[in-house]
Amino acid sequence: MSIKILTVDDSKTIRLIVAKAFKTYDCMVLEADNGVVGLAVASREKPDIILLDYTMPVMDGFEVLARLRSDPALKATPVIMLTAEAGRETVVKIAKLGVRDYLIKPFKGELLVERVSRVVTLKSKTDAVEKVRRYDDPISILVVDDKPAIASQIRTALEGTPWKVTSADQPGQALDMCMEQGVDLVLASLSLPNDGAYMLFQNLRSYSNTASIPVLGLSVKTAASEQTRAQQAGFSSIITKPIAPEELKFKVCRALRLETSYKYFQQRESWLALTLPKDVNQAVLDEVSKRLSDQLAGTVEAGGNKLIVDLSQSETVTLTTVELVLSAIQICSKLAIRYAIVGSEAVLSQCRAYEETQSWMFAKSADEALALLK
Amino acid sequence: MRNLPLSRLQTRQVFPSGEPCKLNTNLMSKQTEQIEAWTRQAVPEVLRAMASMELTSVPPAPFPLDADGQIIGSVGFTGEATGIIYLYAGMSFAKVITGNMLGIEPSEVEPGEMVNDAIGELSNMVVGYVKSRLCDTGLNCTLTIPSVVRGQQLSVEGSSSVARRILGFHNCEHQLVAEILVKES
Repeated sequence: MSIKILTVDDSKTIRLIVAKAFKTYDCMVLEADNGVVGLAVASREKPDIILLDYTMPVMDGFEVLARLRSDPALKATPVIMLTAEAGRETVVKIAKLGVRDYLIKPFKGELLVERVSRVVTLKSKTDAVEKVRRYDDPISILVVDDKPAIASQIRTALEGTPWKVTSADQPGQALDMCMEQGVDLVLASLSLPNDGAYMLFQNLRSYSNTASIPVLGLSVKTAASEQTRAQQAGFSSIITKPIAPEELKFKVCRALRLETSYKYFQQRESWLALTLPKDVNQAVLDEVSKRLSDQLAGTVEAGGNKLIVDLSQSETVTLTTVELVLSAIQICSKLAIRYAIVGSEAVLSQCRAYEETQSWMFAKSADEALALLK
Repeated sequence: MRNLPLSRLQTRQVFPSGEPCKLNTNLMSKQTEQIEAWTRQAVPEVLRAMASMELTSVPPAPFPLDADGQIIGSVGFTGEATGIIYLYAGMSFAKVITGNMLGIEPSEVEPGEMVNDAIGELSNMVVGYVKSRLCDTGLNCTLTIPSVVRGQQLSVEGSSSVARRILGFHNCEHQLVAEILVKES
């Protein structure tokens, strides 16, 4: 997740220097040329850190800071003050304002980056790209629930994945574990006493090294108001109990943006294989639909011109499956890709129950399908 | 510039070649000497940090002038110490400085707002450096907002009641001049 840095400075030169300093980092630099605009941008964008000039026309840094501190939504936003005035009195005054740090102009871009990185975690753009994780990467999940049986159920639901599940029964213990153990995702019970899940959520968001950890709420299916409250608070998603393993995996993947398309797509020499699992649920549909267009375009770019949809794992062909295949066929027709469906007799007969499948070319194996498409 | 009480703009060169600059030596004081010393430190320090440029201090030279015109950045300080500091540069040097600050080639620098803003900001940093030290010695003052004037053969003439110092700086073939006007109590 990109860090949002807001630079509020009346000098365009300084704003450009700030933007240049963070160019190689995975962050978004937002700009405002005076305090009033700065407050508006801060309110709208909720930056992770604000670099605030002290001396500005319209509204100076002092007043901007006072207004930030009186806004419940922005009061926790860390501010680094930039000033050309380094006198002892000014420095003391700035320190009393409650800023996280201050920087005297002139400054070098490297120094600015170093100071900012003390407050927020900066990642280089290269690292950010490299750290796209896959479904089969080890992931650390922390379950926070005062009932040990829940953590046990979650471990069972995630069996077969390389994901590690740890547990904590208190929010304080969970926060310590997140700070110290490199937790990737938190599953917190919304029924913890004293609004423990919400307290934990707020605490995680207030520390730069835990602010980006996705937090999913655990709730019983019928507790609708509790779920709404968690979603409004900013929880990434809700997992309802009793826990459905596929739903849980899907939501974890979505929250962590795990790359899962390799489970369904395999690029071959001159063709693309789309293998659908036994159960084509909404999660599968979303994942495949999202990648379908790019995967088929990739096939064409690589010189391929065939798609083989493998339904051999499917036991039941549902309307969802048919719709998914139809959308693939639609893209194929635009890209001049020929297609065939692989499946058993049972699959074939189930498909034939849908009028839209009458023109589909069926085969019992990929080799047979390729021969048909020659 | 018209709001600044210590000087008025004129359309002649202050230091035409071969003509000695006129310094108001009668009004020199320790405070002015300190401000001069701080400015002599501040200009190279600011240019080094912000534009990665090394400036060497040289005797006052003729006003920097080139075919593209001149630019003057200024920031005043008022309070228990009152004065104003001007930075003079030829426009081609101003573009080099701006380019270095932004990490772009001088030819890519837009001659208008981009250069004005950079020179104004440099002036602010130089005078901010001086102001901080004045305040540390117990002379509280506040800075005016930076102002920038561009044109041909611009100069500033101080009134007789102010102390005036001229500092020259050099980088390759380029000249930069700092002029200090201090109202002496």
